[in-house]
Amino acid sequence: MTVAEQVRIWDREELLTGCQAVSHAVKLSDVDVIAAYPIRPYTEVMDMLSKLIADGKLDAEYIIADSEHSQFEIVKHASSVGARAFAGSSGTGWMYGFEALVVTATDRLPPLFLVGNRALDDPGAFGVEHNDAMSLRDMGWLMCWASTAQEALEHVFIGYRVAEDKTVRMPMALAMDGAFLTHSQHMVKVPTEESVKRFLPPFDLGERRLHPDNPVSIAPQVNEDWVMELRRQNWEAARRARGVIKQAYEEFNAIFGMRYDNPYFSEFMTDDAEAVLIGIGAVAMPTRTACRRMREQGHKVGYVNLRWFRPFPTDELRECLGRFKGVGVIDRDFAHGSPDNGGILMHEVRSCLYPLRERPNVINFIGGLGGRDISIEECIKMYESTLAAGRGDVPEELVSWTGLRE
Amino acid sequence: MIKRVEVQYRGIFQKNLGKYIGGDIVMIASRMGRVAFSNGRYSDAPERNGIPCKYFAFVSPDLSEEELEAECGAKLDIDAADVSLVVDDTMSKGVEPWGWHGIRPVNEKVGHKGCLLMVTRREHDDLVRFMAKKDYPYRLARLEGDASLAGLWVDKDDLTRERCLGAVAAVDPDVIGIEAVEEYLREKTGDENRVRAAREAYDATLRKNKVVSAGEGIDWPHEIPVLPKWHEFDEGGVVVPAVERGFQLGPRGQNRNEGFKHGTSKTERPVVRFDLCIKCTLCWADCPDECFDPTDDELYDVNYEVCTGCHKCAEVCPVKECIVMVDELQFENTDSPWEHHKKDPAGYIQWAEGKKGTKRIRYPHVTGTGVEISEGTTVPPKA
Ligand code: SF4
Ligand code: SF4
Repeated sequence: MTVAEQVRIWDREELLTGCQAVSHAVKLSDVDVIAAYPIRPYTEVMDMLSKLIADGKLDAEYIIADSEHSQFEIVKHASSVGARAFAGSSGTGWMYGFEALVVTATDRLPPLFLVGNRALDDPGAFGVEHNDAMSLRDMGWLMCWASTAQEALEHVFIGYRVAEDKTVRMPMALAMDGAFLTHSQHMVKVPTEESVKRFLPPFDLGERRLHPDNPVSIAPQVNEDWVMELRRQNWEAARRARGVIKQAYEEFNAIFGMRYDNPYFSEFMTDDAEAVLIGIGAVAMPTRTACRRMREQGHKVGYVNLRWFRPFPTDELRECLGRFKGVGVIDRDFAHGSPDNGGILMHEVRSCLYPLRERPNVINFIGGLGGRDISIEECIKMYESTLAAGRGDVPEELVSWTGLRE
Repeated sequence: MIKRVEVQYRGIFQKNLGKYIGGDIVMIASRMGRVAFSNGRYSDAPERNGIPCKYFAFVSPDLSEEELEAECGAKLDIDAADVSLVVDDTMSKGVEPWGWHGIRPVNEKVGHKGCLLMVTRREHDDLVRFMAKKDYPYRLARLEGDASLAGLWVDKDDLTRERCLGAVAAVDPDVIGIEAVEEYLREKTGDENRVRAAREAYDATLRKNKVVSAGEGIDWPHEIPVLPKWHEFDEGGVVVPAVERGFQLGPRGQNRNEGFKHGTSKTERPVVRFDLCIKCTLCWADCPDECFDPTDDELYDVNYEVCTGCHKCAEVCPVKECIVMVDELQFENTDSPWEHHKKDPAGYIQWAEGKKGTKRIRYPHVTGTGVEISEGTTVPPKA
């Protein structure tokens, strides 16, 4: 008898926004400490969690901080005493707490954060852009994007499972596109408590747990005598995380059904594809429709939806994208002044592909900034340029902007 | 096949109503074996005051969830609506949801043979006279009722939600069917009154459904702004032309942001009897949107293009019957009332009293506790 037959897996199907789905998952993860500070579009998560507590459905400490900096410090400290902790933010809120975010990683503590992606002010914009979360990409964080409300819910469990693993212990940023995903209402399957318990073991910080009976020093002044070795430990943890992620999805699939055949990214119509687009988050929606339309016209195109950004799935993506002639990277972010003035994702993808003897031609599209939508027509154009690039017709400017008034 | 429904609602006063109707459609369609999801035009912002906003629901009988999402998700607006449900008829004068969008026709997205479904007490022609011409026919269905306006984030729960669901089923059964609406409400609430409200609205809406022919309506008077290209404005992050502020008392004071007038936020406008004014400055000082322009004769003209209809001026004015809030659909334009008064003082009084009518409506501070309607008095012109 498989595990799936022994316990009831799904409790109910419920209409939930992306934010609400995350909140229900936080509840099911039996979180101990929640620190909150409002900023759109994350705010609905804290609203929902406070309601779950008020309704007596969740027993957790709920602390409203005076700012994001304190909010993140609170969960970091809670995590150090062995509490499963949760916080979240968006855009500039994320930046305001940056110092606390960095030390959570260097202290090797594993709380989970929801980032409702939002453009960085100024000027004011509520819409999605990925620079907020991506600013942490080199700091020792786990970072992954959900592209549906269901995925967001499930990745709270997967996120804690990976982050808290003895061999990882890194903070986890679960990101989702502001408005397009955080505020979209879907029928979401909510699992039972028992099935989540089966998947997600209790958080155990072991010897490192800060407690009066177990005095430990966290973050002392160590200077040049220790820092390098500690950084190396971070580095190793990020390397190990790839294996743990794989294992976590195997366990997840065993309990909840084969939901993810590849943990790191999902491929859409890529079999026999000549050129593909790759992107992160909600842009998967118009690109998939565009892909279908291109296929109807006989064009061999596909889409790769990247889920895990840290650790970056180097081997898997190298193997996947190495099959194609043209790769068009869509960045909902910017990296001003970087090589070719391309987007962050493009640099990662290009660097990942560089060691291949035969590389696809990589071009880059920057679009959807500040919450502007990326239309199906734009995606079709991106497919056309990527197909052309794959056939050797590489534009002089490798990076182009889409959806810009120009 | 995809059915696209938009719910046009008034900012914070109907936020929950809009969201609930969107969500209900998803749940009812799901019970019917259809695939559906819902999202909002502006997520939870910037729904200030009565600013016109939108929720969407997408329903398909044959696509997978993945396909429906791929077609309809991650978009700010739709190209064409099968049903555009408008939960307050004063939006028929136009909707300006956000800066730089301009004032747009309420029927802008109604597709060919689509349906504009409006909660209203007005007749067909009385609504069409405010709405833009379209070059194809569409249906205008009316659901008899008042706009259900509640306070910040609150839902009045006055059966508008249930009635709207019944009406949507009447105008497009491919979105949701009335039996499924009834079953859903019965199961969810166990309250037969709610089920009956939906059914009655369904029956009534079937009867109040008329075609608006191509070319019927007005030539749209508002320009839709064309925004500059990236290289056509100054660098430095200040992309919005700055608005000079002026706070001196007259003459003809304030400057305003031309890019966002937000006058379509209002359901009522203040009508001022200039002859009764004692020049106390309170309306001018208290108006949150700086709508009053001091005049040379020390009166305060109202700029209806920017007035959001918040009632504040009517509340602070110390003179009885001097400022009274009047239903916005009584007015054709945003012309200066003070100029009218200057040109023809007696005629203006007569016009103003005609608009005011005899009923004075007082809204309670606590939502849902009912409105107070009293008889107004017609104060004779002051010498
Ligand atoms: S109702 Fe009166 S106070 Fe309110 S915005 Fe209009 S003019 Fe100003
Ligand atoms: S509040 Fe009334 S009396 Fe005072 S200035 Fe305004 S209109 Fe005149």
